[in-house]
Amino acid sequence: MNTSSLNEMSNDTYMKRKHHMGMKAKGRISNTIIYAILILMSIIWLIPFIFIVLQSFHTELAADGVTRVTWQVGYVWPKKWGFDNYIDLFTKTSFPKWYLNTFIMALFTAIFQTLFVLFMSYTLSRLRFKGRKALMKFMLILGMFPGMLTMIIMYNVLKMIGPGDYGLTGANAVPGLILTYVASSGMGYYVSKGFFDTIPKSLDEAARVDGATRAQVLYKIILPLSKPIVIYTILTAFMAPWGDFVFARYVSNLSDAGMNVAVGLNSWLNKDQISGKYTLFCAGGVIVAIPVTILFLCLQKYYVEGVTGGAVKG
Amino acid sequence: MKTRFTKALIALLAIGTLAACGNNQTSSETPSGTPSETPEANPLAGTYDVKVWAAEAITELTTTQIAEFEAANPGIVINETVQAVGEGEAATQMVNDVESGADIFCFAQDQFARLVQAGALTKLGQKTAATVSERNDAGSVNAVTSEGNLFAYPLTSDNGYFMYYDKSVVAENHVDSLEDIIADCEAANRLFSFELEGSAWYAASFFFATGCKSEWTADSEGKFTSVYDTFNSANGLVAVKGMQKLVTSKAYNNSSATSEFTAATPSAVVVSGTWDYATAAAALGDNLGVADLPSFTVDGNSYHLGSYAGFKLLGVRPTTDAKRAAVLQQLALYLTDAKCQEQRFDSNAWGPSNKDVQAMDKVKANPALAALQAQSAHSTPQGQIHGSWWDIGKAIATGVKAATSDAELQTVLDTYKAAVDGVLAMPDEVRNAWTVIGAINGTTWNTDFEMTEVETGVWKTKEAYTLTAGTEFKVRQGLSWDKAWPAANFVVEADGTYYIVLTLDAEGNGTVTLEAA
Amino acid sequence: MRKYSDLEYLKLPKHKRLLYKIAVFFTSIPTKIKNFGLKVYNYIKKIVLGIKDFFVNIVMTFIKGDYKTKISYVIMGFGNITRGQIIRGVFFFVFEAIFIFYMITTGGKWLSLLPSLGLQGPEEVYDETLDTFVTVYHDNSFKILLYGVLTLFFVIAFIYTWYINIKQNRIAEQILATGKKIKSDKDDLHSMVDDQFHKTLLALPITGIVIFTVFPMVFMILVAFTNYSAEFNGFSKLFTWVGWENFNKLFTFGTGVNSLSATFGEVLTWTLIWAFFATFSNYFLGMLVAIMINKKGIRFKKLWRTVLVMTIAIPQFISLLYVSKMFSKSGLVNGMLQSLGWIDTAIPFWENKTLARVMVIVINIWIGIPYLMLIASGILMNIPQDLYESAKIDGANAFKQYTKITLPYMLFVTGPYLLTSFISNMNNFNVIYLLTTGNPTNPNATSSAGSVGFTDLLVTWLFKITTGAESQYYLASVIGIMIFIVVSVISLIVYSLMPSTRNEEDFQ
Repeated sequence: MNTSSLNEMSNDTYMKRKHHMGMKAKGRISNTIIYAILILMSIIWLIPFIFIVLQSFHTELAADGVTRVTWQVGYVWPKKWGFDNYIDLFTKTSFPKWYLNTFIMALFTAIFQTLFVLFMSYTLSRLRFKGRKALMKFMLILGMFPGMLTMIIMYNVLKMIGPGDYGLTGANAVPGLILTYVASSGMGYYVSKGFFDTIPKSLDEAARVDGATRAQVLYKIILPLSKPIVIYTILTAFMAPWGDFVFARYVSNLSDAGMNVAVGLNSWLNKDQISGKYTLFCAGGVIVAIPVTILFLCLQKYYVEGVTGGAVKG
Repeated sequence: MKTRFTKALIALLAIGTLAACGNNQTSSETPSGTPSETPEANPLAGTYDVKVWAAEAITELTTTQIAEFEAANPGIVINETVQAVGEGEAATQMVNDVESGADIFCFAQDQFARLVQAGALTKLGQKTAATVSERNDAGSVNAVTSEGNLFAYPLTSDNGYFMYYDKSVVAENHVDSLEDIIADCEAANRLFSFELEGSAWYAASFFFATGCKSEWTADSEGKFTSVYDTFNSANGLVAVKGMQKLVTSKAYNNSSATSEFTAATPSAVVVSGTWDYATAAAALGDNLGVADLPSFTVDGNSYHLGSYAGFKLLGVRPTTDAKRAAVLQQLALYLTDAKCQEQRFDSNAWGPSNKDVQAMDKVKANPALAALQAQSAHSTPQGQIHGSWWDIGKAIATGVKAATSDAELQTVLDTYKAAVDGVLAMPDEVRNAWTVIGAINGTTWNTDFEMTEVETGVWKTKEAYTLTAGTEFKVRQGLSWDKAWPAANFVVEADGTYYIVLTLDAEGNGTVTLEAA
Repeated sequence: MRKYSDLEYLKLPKHKRLLYKIAVFFTSIPTKIKNFGLKVYNYIKKIVLGIKDFFVNIVMTFIKGDYKTKISYVIMGFGNITRGQIIRGVFFFVFEAIFIFYMITTGGKWLSLLPSLGLQGPEEVYDETLDTFVTVYHDNSFKILLYGVLTLFFVIAFIYTWYINIKQNRIAEQILATGKKIKSDKDDLHSMVDDQFHKTLLALPITGIVIFTVFPMVFMILVAFTNYSAEFNGFSKLFTWVGWENFNKLFTFGTGVNSLSATFGEVLTWTLIWAFFATFSNYFLGMLVAIMINKKGIRFKKLWRTVLVMTIAIPQFISLLYVSKMFSKSGLVNGMLQSLGWIDTAIPFWENKTLARVMVIVINIWIGIPYLMLIASGILMNIPQDLYESAKIDGANAFKQYTKITLPYMLFVTGPYLLTSFISNMNNFNVIYLLTTGNPTNPNATSSAGSVGFTDLLVTWLFKITTGAESQYYLASVIGIMIFIVVSVISLIVYSLMPSTRNEEDFQ
């Protein structure tokens, strides 16, 4: 809201003054306004995250002088700084286990999902075969069905295919979740297909004339050209498991051994846990956000190429 | 295949246990008592993997208590996994998938009917049921009973609510009046936290104050059959007028967390229960006041806010193995018995349901429990309530807040009543309508034929039917057999084409006659 | 109506072009419907002919075929093996063996129970010695439906494979009759990485999609025709087929608060409003931010971008949950505004219908702008700079340049993206669920079907139905099917309105 109104103002100012000033001065003023907007936006964008970080360092005692304040309080700046929340997080809760679970999930999902997506998009983009168009239409229609509904069934399928009574759910939820994330990932081929579509076909044809098989064309010619899209796919696949708090909860059946961080931290904000776990939630949030954010910021360039390509080609 | 295998296993085990324990000793009688005389003959000896879901606050304690259970029952080894799962969450998860749920789990009373219906609770054995009934207070036993059978173990008898307040804001002589408290809060720019919009459990408080009721009856399978609900009445209107005073106040805050005492805009009053005592005490220190709920005044009459007297319960998931079922039953009984309840009181101030523990001095001295006790004069035992009611009931406060006139308040109640009636899934016109069922028109007591009310108390079939002598039928109401006439089947005397007519007298007794077409 | 030629069309002023397009769209509707009908007719004809061919092929191949072919009708892969295609033959044979074994041991049982969904529920048995109740389980409707449908999938796969097996025999005979050689095992292996490479690549992804998307969807569509719910959960009480009853219930049952169709309409309306605002607010604001950051002379471009993308990088359950708490009545925002003296009474951000609806849209901007900023940055750089240069020479100011060049270009390039983002906003579970969980409650829509709030989207409502007190899965399925219909209708309309769907081959 702020940005839009300020922006209108910038246009107004710009119009009014345009006849009275030289080009340079005009540019300087509009730039100043833009800087002001950007700074304001940056503040709005960062404030919640700064608050979370600050809240995770709260170590003060409550009014009774004994209990450490672990619930939500009305101020942000800690009255007493300390790492107690982080220490508790790693010593008194199952957070390390959840964290490890999520990391494993993210790692394997990133590997296999990337393979699936690349296979799918490469095939649909470069190879021509009977039923290709029909397959794409079918997947488009499939994607219009709300996925939320299929949760119960996927859960039961996982229960069925694994060992023992619980299958790949409950304590074994980690492989189960990896399987579900990966299995349907072929449907998200759009972005990378859009990318492959932009690689000239003449490259393939030249190689085919030289006697290369289709498989050789893929890994000798196409893949080296596809670094941005491969990294984009890996990055998005890696980030997804960190934020899944609905399906992961269903599959892990609230078993610590199979939970991910999102399910665990989310449960701390339930009514009966929030007063004892709020500051721990903030600390956990920080620990979760750090690696994901760093990774994201490092690979931002590829992400941009990915989303741009995907949006343009749709 | 699996079931056949399990059946064979049960048969084998049954034979095994019969052979092993000729002396017919059931250690469930002495759950925390001395080990049996010949421990090596314990028929239940073995190793059991048990998954337990308990509230966050008692997970550690529960682990210790299970170890004590093992010590008291030589031969039984429990490999337990105790996990912190909220009471509401536990029930939802159990209903989603009973097979993968916990073997023993804590839940709040409002989930009881839903769990029975989902087949997530094992019936207690007769002797164990007798023990539970004998040792716990009457309300808590009632809470675990469905059609005469016990389905769970009372864990606490404190699932009610009362008022925590900040003594520095609310004057001591104001705590009895809702209006005074609101005025104090507004003056100090503090909030009054009462979760009226988020939970029907709290919203019912105002209705109980004016004597309204919402009572549900369920059959033995946990299916609800009828409801007696008087929220939509003159008294109900008084209740929503009282509620309106609070929800339209600038001090009103829809929450039940005692951490609101230290929020950015701090609350001066939080309506919550015993489980929040520790946080409240820590947050307010010496300023903490605990009291029963206040009264509100409408049209010169004063009404003391009511509350639910509810319970937290422990449930055991059904199993297919008798020996395992017996061990789980003993463990659940142990965990809810005097010793464990006392331990939970000591560590978390959970109010006991066990009569012996309730009688202890230290329990009586607890301020939160004392407030609950004071409130108990105005509380309503929480019976079995249909799950949908919790959703419907919490919408009242939102409607009340938006209402600007008495007529609009009445509309809120009308809407509520319509929604409640809709729960039993039969529209009024179906529930009240009479239909003919029998061996008529080629059907075999499986189809209802419609009737219309031609004049008050007289119902007639829409069409004429060709009936042969000896044909039998009945006229019934609401597609159920609760009301059906005549008492014995109606027998047609002569062949012919007839309309069937039902005439109801002033007492509601019906007479069935035939009218030639 | 007069039709313009391409040249005439291009000469038209902007607004007339739009009017013309709209007119063309509406006048073409009858033709479109006719074409659609023709398409459907042709499609059905094709299927009928296909089925005819299927049976004719089976019979003719049997009559004309040699003994190897004939034996292959019973023992799959016999023909392949005897003609030297060992790998194919073994594959067919093993598949048949597994199928027969499965059908005899378990599959047959599931199929036979599918029409009834189970006959006997569980029973409780009292063990007097141990004073315990033991539950003996018999049929489980859920499992019957699950395994029954899976078995059906398997049967279809088997029939298809059997047909392929026959077809291959015929083709092999034909090839051999001309004196050529049929493909050897070596050829087969080679074609897996060459001619048939698409099959190799697609095998795993498609299997995954079939098991984890297609199958669950078929199952859920079937559930819409049962009474599967918390009460009839198939485990403690069997559920059964009820036909179209659930659909009737959605459209006829009840009046006032109990009217599901009224609730559905109300939720759908808000879902569409939300999707509209969420999509376009992000779209235009994101574009503006991109223009600002990319403006010549603005420094620290990378810094601004990095700051904004923080909301993409940090998992939403952390950021949105925290923001939701910040805006609560006793939360930090209200506290700050009060201590600054800007407001006297706390603002009920989440308790007021309108305010809550505005808030979710505004906070969604916080989450959504960065995506659009990234996309727009990429596209803006692709706009030929000489367009701007010539516009400047013509005296166009920045605003004119934006409306004449930037916006049309963006709209043209991102048309399909707008549609997909509209649809994904319709199903934007995270933002609504984490911020409000659908609250504030709508008293006029909350009935036995569960609570419904003013900010509930169809998906969150669906989630509440499945996880609510009654867990009416059958109702959730019906609503899921309705969402599907709404989404596909919108997509169809938009696709046919879109200027020109670009051909995928254009880019290569």
